Amino acid sequence: MASLYHASVNISNLEQLAMQKSIIHKIHPMAKLISAIVYIVVVISFSYKNITGLVPFIFYPVILISLANIPYKFLLKRTVIALPFSLMAGISNIIFMPFTDGMISFVAVMLKTFLTVFAALILIATTPFTEITHQLNILRIPKILCLLIVMTYRYLSVLMTEAFIMHTAYILRSHKQNGIKLKDIGFFLGQLVLKSFDRAERVYNSMKCRGFDGTYYGKYSGMRISDIVYIVVVAGLAIFLRVFNLSLFIGGII
Amino acid sequence: MHMVDALLSPAVGGAMTAVSVGAIGLSVAKIKNTSENPDKFDEKKIPVMAVLGAFIFAAQMINFTIPGTGSSGHIGGGILLAAILGPFPALLTLASVLLIQCLFFADGGLLAYGCNLFNMGVCACLFAYQIIYKPIIKKWGLNKKTIFVAAVFSAITGLQAGAFMVVLQTAISGVANLPFATFAALMQPIHLIIGIIEGIVTAAVLCFIHSVRPEILDNNISRTNTVRPYKLLIIFIILTLIIGGVISIFASQLPDGLEWSIEKTEEISGIEISNDDTAENIVLEYSPIGGIIGSIITVALAGSIGFIIHIAKKQRKQTGES
Repeated sequence: MASLYHASVNISNLEQLAMQKSIIHKIHPMAKLISAIVYIVVVISFSYKNITGLVPFIFYPVILISLANIPYKFLLKRTVIALPFSLMAGISNIIFMPFTDGMISFVAVMLKTFLTVFAALILIATTPFTEITHQLNILRIPKILCLLIVMTYRYLSVLMTEAFIMHTAYILRSHKQNGIKLKDIGFFLGQLVLKSFDRAERVYNSMKCRGFDGTYYGKYSGMRISDIVYIVVVAGLAIFLRVFNLSLFIGGII
Repeated sequence: MHMVDALLSPAVGGAMTAVSVGAIGLSVAKIKNTSENPDKFDEKKIPVMAVLGAFIFAAQMINFTIPGTGSSGHIGGGILLAAILGPFPALLTLASVLLIQCLFFADGGLLAYGCNLFNMGVCACLFAYQIIYKPIIKKWGLNKKTIFVAAVFSAITGLQAGAFMVVLQTAISGVANLPFATFAALMQPIHLIIGIIEGIVTAAVLCFIHSVRPEILDNNISRTNTVRPYKLLIIFIILTLIIGGVISIFASQLPDGLEWSIEKTEEISGIEISNDDTAENIVLEYSPIGGIIGSIITVALAGSIGFIIHIAKKQRKQTGES
């Protein structure tokens, strides 16, 4: 089944990217998390008319992508997934607004989509997922949720393999069929739930054997000066560019 | 439908995140309450929740054919999780699934996470499940008929509420210029159909589980309910209004601050700088060409910086190898 297969490939690709070693990968995860959030907030705070103000924000993804060795094509492919809803809203702007305004806001919405999606993807492509959940724990997100996120993530591949096997078995026995029939889906997913329950039982037993008592473990490493500099530079530049329109400035010089 | 960052205003994103964090906090407190030892929650539940979270993730990728239409669909799973795990653990499970989806698959966004958790998690698990599924099962007992009715109606309600929230969040954010009524008229009927299908599939899965392992569903419903659903809903609405109000007050004060700083910068640098309110004038009247040329140069500049870093890295690698 295509989407299950693609999803697992996607996760392992992102995991491999996050395992690389580069200047960006070395930055403290908390620094990357904070600066990414500041960046996204600033980007979405622009009004829908202001394209020239948004354009300079392209520096962030471009510089990070090339410093962190992330393939452009890979990010672009992932971004396409996020497009339909934005595209619909953007096109509606063209329809419901005067044409020039509509076009301007359409471009702004698409630009915002690319910038925000890139920011999130760059974060996950340069930071191992367990590091991010660890930061959430430090940020006082309840440990039960942090544990849950880490474990859900761990068991994704297991359950996806399980579903993939069942799906293949089903499709092989049904001639000329794209998906599962509606009348069978209850049994199919029901079986998957029961398998999940059994799996969870075994997971719990083996975790218990290794001393699990509901505590979330993670090693805390402090931020270095360079990490703080990174936050200040990224957040500072983002806020500066929010106020100062670089594109118009450059255009004005010429 | 996943809400995306690009269509949100910071105020709406912030308010929804705050409300969703509240819902998560409530759920964590509830789970700790129901376990025997309040200090250490029932740690056995975590693997079950995590594995079922992974299950929902996988299940959302399995398409089934919808008879007579030629199209295919997949389940959302909010009601299914709530019926199996109970509403509060289900919400936490969905929270972790949505976070993974948001980071790894660009479904939604970091700032839209709060919106998505509310639209798909709170609306299904804490609202539809509590006001429809649970009362029906409690009143008429657990059998195939009641499961079917309860699942279909709660799935419809959950999705209608979620779709309406998407419309509301988009409209209040004001990034997309969709007229509220048109957007609602588009979203609600689509989600009615999706809701009916989701309900039927959820019912089929639950009926199967009920006939094979009835104890899974029994355990959950027999637990006493300490929070009244109506109360919960009212609390959430009030919370959203308060937080939204506070943030928008700040947001409305912020432009003044911005204007002030822009004036200052203009004074110092002697350059006219755009500001949101005048951006349109500047783009359209003041110097459209300047803006466009400036933007193109900026993009080119960014691109060349990326290219230079790329080349520099390559050379460094080559010298390192030789």
